[in-house]
Amino acid sequence: MKPLINSLSNQKNSNSIILTTFNDFSNWARLSSLWPLLYGTSCCFIEFASLIGSRFDFDRYGLVPRSSPRQADLIITAGTVTMKMAPSLVRLYEQMPEPKYVIAMGACTITGGMFSTDSYSTVRGVDKLIPVDIYLPGCPPKPEAIIDAIIKLRKKVAQETYKDKYKFKQGERYLTLNHKFNFVSTEQSDKKLYSQLSKTQVNSTLDTFDSTEKKKNLTFLLRSEDNKKNIQNK
Amino acid sequence: MLNTYTNNSTTTTKMQGRLSAWLAKHKLAHRPLGFDYQGVEILQIRSENWLSIAVALYVYGFNYLRSQCAYDVAPGGLLASVYHFTKIQDNADQPEEICIKIFVSRQRSKIPSVFWIWKSADFQERESYDMLGISYENHPRLKRILMPDTWIGWPLRKDYIVPDFYELQDAY
Repeated sequence: MKPLINSLSNQKNSNSIILTTFNDFSNWARLSSLWPLLYGTSCCFIEFASLIGSRFDFDRYGLVPRSSPRQADLIITAGTVTMKMAPSLVRLYEQMPEPKYVIAMGACTITGGMFSTDSYSTVRGVDKLIPVDIYLPGCPPKPEAIIDAIIKLRKKVAQETYKDKYKFKQGERYLTLNHKFNFVSTEQSDKKLYSQLSKTQVNSTLDTFDSTEKKKNLTFLLRSEDNKKNIQNK
Repeated sequence: MLNTYTNNSTTTTKMQGRLSAWLAKHKLAHRPLGFDYQGVEILQIRSENWLSIAVALYVYGFNYLRSQCAYDVAPGGLLASVYHFTKIQDNADQPEEICIKIFVSRQRSKIPSVFWIWKSADFQERESYDMLGISYENHPRLKRILMPDTWIGWPLRKDYIVPDFYELQDAY
């Protein structure tokens, strides 16, 4: 393919045009400047950092590392994410402007990796916290593998349409569960304790459960109103 | 470990080392636990004697706390705090070393902090507190160092039960 600049500088074909859809054009612009957030928590970032240097040089894919989540389009979760890091990671993700993409890099961020069986602190896969677009396996993945993941992400971005934006709403994209600790003193009677436990069980279920319950309640109310009307009519 | 800990006095006299003899000469309470694989002398010291003996060790010449760590001896059993000291001098070729072990019960796990003698004990004692819940008395800022401040429980104790958080549930 001939570069664009040559055709422009060539005065003989000054009326050269590009035919494309606006969607493709904007996608092309976006995929050519996927700015990743400089985020790394352990050894995977060493591999990721080698991409910044001249040997693997991810600037040629338009990746310019950003130190602020406000300017980043992409977060590559390089390294183990612990329970202590999890709120910070979610916050960083939430601070990134839409559209935003996540590459889960390395075994730790996919399933917890070698910490997945008997760890008290490692989050078992970063997809429990934020939605992941590309899973990049390896322990750690080679820089070539990261480039491959970025190429796959570019393909994904290229195929996006305007409708895709509305497929996922921000609020529903990832599951957030509030941990509900209840300090139960030993002086409390068993009755109180059991009632508290049953309450928390109901509360800790997902929103879907709440909504269905509400619907049931609504239908029940409607029915009772109908019954009242019937009674009054009679 | 438990076997060496419960040894009677007849066997301990055989494995008395140099420092044990020095401590015995100065009438400082201790119990020799033999030698490790490198021939470093291991001494057990009771928690209540630890501060005075630590000062004595410093006077003896152990000016470098090489490591401080802790472990859980057995489920429901004792907690151990381990100290490795080295005598550092100019042109030291084979510096003298010593290993101190302090066993405390997990209900009343109180050990005097050696921070005021060896400043490098600061973070290491904090980590031992964080992981095993050994409270080091007179430590300047004894709080969790690795786990979140809100964490409940001591993760490296053998009877620790991991909370069933959504984030900690295995992927499979």
